[in-house]
Amino acid sequence: MPQDAFARGLDPITVEVVRHKLEGIANEMQQTLLRSSFSPIVKEGLDASSSLFTMSGETLAQATAIPIHLATLIPVVAKILETFPIATMQEGDVYCMNDPYLGGTHLPDVALVQPVFVDGRPIALSATMTHHQDMGGMSPGSVPTTATEIFQEGLRLPPLKFREAGKYNETLVAIIRRNVRIPDAVMGDLNAQLAACNVGARRIAELARTLGDNQALAIFDELLDRSEKLTRAALGSIPEGTYTYVDFSDNDGIELDKPIRLEVAVTVKDGGFHCDFTGSSPQVRGPFNCVPSGSLAAACYAVRAVTDPAIPTNAGCFRPISLALPEGSVVNPREPAPVNSRTATIKRITGCILGALKDVLPERVPADSSGELLTLMFGGRHRDGTAFVTGELIAGGSGAGPHSDGVDVIETDVTNCMNLPVEAMESDTPIRVHRLALRENSGGAGRQRGGLGVLKEYEILDGEVAFTCRGERHFFAPKGAQGGSEGAKAHAVIRRVGGSAEIIPSKAMTILRAGDRVIVETAGGGGNGPAAQRDPQATARDLADGKVSS
Amino acid sequence: MTVKPRRFEIGVDIGGTFTDIVCREPGGALHVLKVPTTRGDPSRAVLDGVAELAGRFGVTAADVARFAHGTTVATNAVLERKGARLGVLTTQGFRDVLEIGRQLRNDVYRVILQPETPVFLAPRRLRKEVPERLDASGAVLLPLQEEAVLEAADALVAEGVEAIAISFLFSFRNPKHERCAAELIRKRHPGLALSLSHEVDPAFREYERTVVTAFDAYVKPLVDSYLARLEHGLAETGIGAPLQVMQSRGGLAAADVARQRPVRLFLSGPAAGVIGGRIVGASAAADDLITIDIGGTSADIALVSRRKPMLRAEGVIAGFPVRVAMVDVNSIGAGGGSIAHIDASGGLRVGPRSAGSEPGPACYGRGGTEPTVTDASVVLGWLDPARFVGGRLKLDPAKAVAAIEHKIAKPLGLSLAQAALGIHRVLNAGMAEGIRLVSVRQGIDPRGYALVPLGGAGGLHATALARELGMRRIVVARVPGVLAAAGLLAAPIEHEVSADFVVPLAGLDLGAVRGKLGQLDARAAELMAAEQVAAVEVAISYFADVCYIGQSYHLEIALQPDAPDLAQRLYRDFLEAHDRVYGHSVDSPARLVGLRTVHRAGGSEVLEEMRFAPSGGPAVIGHRDIVVAGEASLVPADVYDRDALKEGFAFSGPAVVEQSDTTTLVEPGWSAVVDAAGNLVLTPQGA
Repeated sequence: MPQDAFARGLDPITVEVVRHKLEGIANEMQQTLLRSSFSPIVKEGLDASSSLFTMSGETLAQATAIPIHLATLIPVVAKILETFPIATMQEGDVYCMNDPYLGGTHLPDVALVQPVFVDGRPIALSATMTHHQDMGGMSPGSVPTTATEIFQEGLRLPPLKFREAGKYNETLVAIIRRNVRIPDAVMGDLNAQLAACNVGARRIAELARTLGDNQALAIFDELLDRSEKLTRAALGSIPEGTYTYVDFSDNDGIELDKPIRLEVAVTVKDGGFHCDFTGSSPQVRGPFNCVPSGSLAAACYAVRAVTDPAIPTNAGCFRPISLALPEGSVVNPREPAPVNSRTATIKRITGCILGALKDVLPERVPADSSGELLTLMFGGRHRDGTAFVTGELIAGGSGAGPHSDGVDVIETDVTNCMNLPVEAMESDTPIRVHRLALRENSGGAGRQRGGLGVLKEYEILDGEVAFTCRGERHFFAPKGAQGGSEGAKAHAVIRRVGGSAEIIPSKAMTILRAGDRVIVETAGGGGNGPAAQRDPQATARDLADGKVSS
Repeated sequence: MTVKPRRFEIGVDIGGTFTDIVCREPGGALHVLKVPTTRGDPSRAVLDGVAELAGRFGVTAADVARFAHGTTVATNAVLERKGARLGVLTTQGFRDVLEIGRQLRNDVYRVILQPETPVFLAPRRLRKEVPERLDASGAVLLPLQEEAVLEAADALVAEGVEAIAISFLFSFRNPKHERCAAELIRKRHPGLALSLSHEVDPAFREYERTVVTAFDAYVKPLVDSYLARLEHGLAETGIGAPLQVMQSRGGLAAADVARQRPVRLFLSGPAAGVIGGRIVGASAAADDLITIDIGGTSADIALVSRRKPMLRAEGVIAGFPVRVAMVDVNSIGAGGGSIAHIDASGGLRVGPRSAGSEPGPACYGRGGTEPTVTDASVVLGWLDPARFVGGRLKLDPAKAVAAIEHKIAKPLGLSLAQAALGIHRVLNAGMAEGIRLVSVRQGIDPRGYALVPLGGAGGLHATALARELGMRRIVVARVPGVLAAAGLLAAPIEHEVSADFVVPLAGLDLGAVRGKLGQLDARAAELMAAEQVAAVEVAISYFADVCYIGQSYHLEIALQPDAPDLAQRLYRDFLEAHDRVYGHSVDSPARLVGLRTVHRAGGSEVLEEMRFAPSGGPAVIGHRDIVVAGEASLVPADVYDRDALKEGFAFSGPAVVEQSDTTTLVEPGWSAVVDAAGNLVLTPQGA
């Protein structure tokens, strides 16, 4: 096997040393990006990533804090290489783009891509993507839940030069500044991205000078080939075949009675991993459509999750992946469908791909997780007239594994966001939290029980509060595995001060008044194995802990 | 003429394998001792060591003026899940806060998940709710139902709990309910250990506060009995000096104070190590340095900037993030026991698997057959098989050769030497990136810093790491193997008291700030008095936690309470710190979120008494042909005896320097010189 390396004239030790360096460089870029960004979404949601690419547009190394960023820069880089041929690139150029319909994700995610020059020749690309606090459009933050067209979602940037030969594209900068609500913060975050790209460029150039640039390029190729080989070998241990799965998202927030169907057929064959989404819903009116980069991130995540975690993450891992995305469907919408809330869809797609492999990889894939990230927004005014807006992201339970119960209330799959402390919310808003509790009996029964969802109860203390709820799993429960039961569905209700109760059909936008209460319950994870085989001691423990009531 | 009583100071650091003891008499020589750690009851090893001190150096119990201790007892209690059976008492509606946490997972690529919150501390049946509620200002919305407190406590005691953590919402704004609940429980069940959240960690965010409080209560009975045994044992040997314990921030506390707040002891040993690194740096006029402690399975990296160990406000205990200030020690999975292997694509990988100490590297001859970094060091001629750890462990070079030959060299088509060198190159590449990342995260460029290897294995990697990172100075201490114990002797006594204090900086009420600091000072002064430290010896520093309004992470900013322009200064210093740490600052409004006072007494910048006396033997004790990077064939190297090197002694690489607790490789291109303090200082030639 090592003969390949020798055929390229490489010594295997230098190859491994360079691999460490490339990962170190991506991590240093990422630290620089996180450290110097303004956006709280970056600082606390870690919604940013840094990558190095080969000149053929393949990922060399990547630092991601959350997996939804995995591989999402690949289509961006492809578009940029298509728009700006390598022969036309100059030292000091930096390209930018955010258009989902040209390879981006959603409009707040802006990519910067910088060619790395050594001795006048570009040898690699240094790239970053950051979720910006605002990109304009109909609502602050540029993720309008009521959008029905991408034009409402904000400013679209096709591939453009953000800097040309080291100088800002002042025209572009002026346009950006006039189209976003917080121009200083957005420019600050763009400059943080530039700083991170520069770190990558400087260190890659140093590395290439030490090795000689031809040697460096040969090693880059070798590293990609190795990860590909390792990934294909790992995929080869999965029995060949086509495995299908269907699951649903509740609705698109506009047409509340229309579930969104996600169907995937995963074909594992000859070391390849093909995901065909034929059978998925047509594109939807609301912003839950997912452009191809999202499905790619989901597939890459699934492959990383079921293969050996020690395989270095680079384009080699992604080479075995191919996608069939029916045009005009929710996984490949036509312009100008809105896309900003695609996270919920990507989470469901990821769940489907993993779900398809559940039976063939029972030791590596658990029962279905809640796969929901309940998003609540409260906006209103304090007594003194100052405005407040508070957001809350709430997870459900994880699916049970073959040998372990699911975990109660934990983030799963492609996201990893924190909830809001009760003491933080009550300090900053006229809202009181009455309960924060594990939701009894919500974990799917099984030999291994699914993780529990959570129950949280809020009361509005003062004034009027605009309330947005984006739930999932209200109508479709997370399924069990190997004979385990499904987890409990999510539930949410508004108890008005007069005594009436309004059940929230997964999504809602309404006004809450003093005394109104909102009670949300997230879904539990699916169980694994027949419940009759559950260890009686585990059942007794669950009873004593009140996690199940009978 | 009266004989001045001798005043020995003893520092004892307990490690996994060895208990290190350092004993000094101000103005006198430094005695160093290593005894095997006694895992069942670590206090036995300490007492054994003290007995040996008496036997070997004639240190009598009456001579001991101070006894400073770095302990792993709190950490081990958690790692081995041997803490108290714990109950938790919370506000009605919130008993699950401890279990839910912040819903984050650590390994994002894992799909079969394990709990990420320390549920093991108290499962749901041992967490009870009581009716009571405060609002965000601390005002009582629902008075504490005392009957319910007693019922809950009785039920927990019936379940066999030995300790209770009490964590009510907003208790840091108004401690009345927590105090009242504690009093009721103390009266009814006087034997229970109690930890109150407003005392342990008076700051907002209920999960974080509850976790610290629960960890505190969990280890309290164990730490208490351990310290009692140790004190008792010391008293029996006649040592009347007070026992001091190292806290995770890098300051000492009297055992009586430390046992009240044991959650502050989790990084006791590593904190002492960083202080040890600091005194070595100071003795070599290096105020900015990076310490690296390379052990068998991991390497610990810490930064000292302007002679101050970098702290972090939230540390990690056995993998759980816990909000208690600690020296910022970062562990990466690379060490002498890291195993080299070839992956399925033909790539050479080193670690993260480790042979540990059992069976250990192949050359230990304890049944290990996997090639490790230490085996590579033997093959390369850097380690003398007969003199490893002062000759206490005889290495079998044939086994090292066999492991590397069969598992690495042959499959890769490399010579034995190339393979062994390759293992080091790969390990060092990963480690260098680890060091770089730790520095970058703190906003620091490692090139201006000195590298200080601690522990046994650092010296073999130092020049390679420094070259890789562009660092131009390496300081190898005279006793790198016992620096933690030496650090104990240099550390100050320190007590920190803080409070939640949330107000905008604009229009800051200076009187209120000073009033609050006064309260904090009074409590810190009580603690210092318990140490029998006179008030005049105490240096006080004040800090404020400051953030932009709307930001949820804060920075600790030093504060001068008497300054008339206090608010302006705080704001200016905050902007400067923000710029340094985060790379930018803007003129947005900021607010205070907490106040802190730190009382310090004693401690020294350097241990002047670490003066050394060369052994008088020959400097060069042998010659070996060794393999070094960049040379095709073996190069002859002088082997030096560290104990014999005199001040000013200089030489160049390639060379190997041996001493009982470490071996230093001086690669070609590096110069070495012994400084006045006995440090071996390495610098690249031509720099």
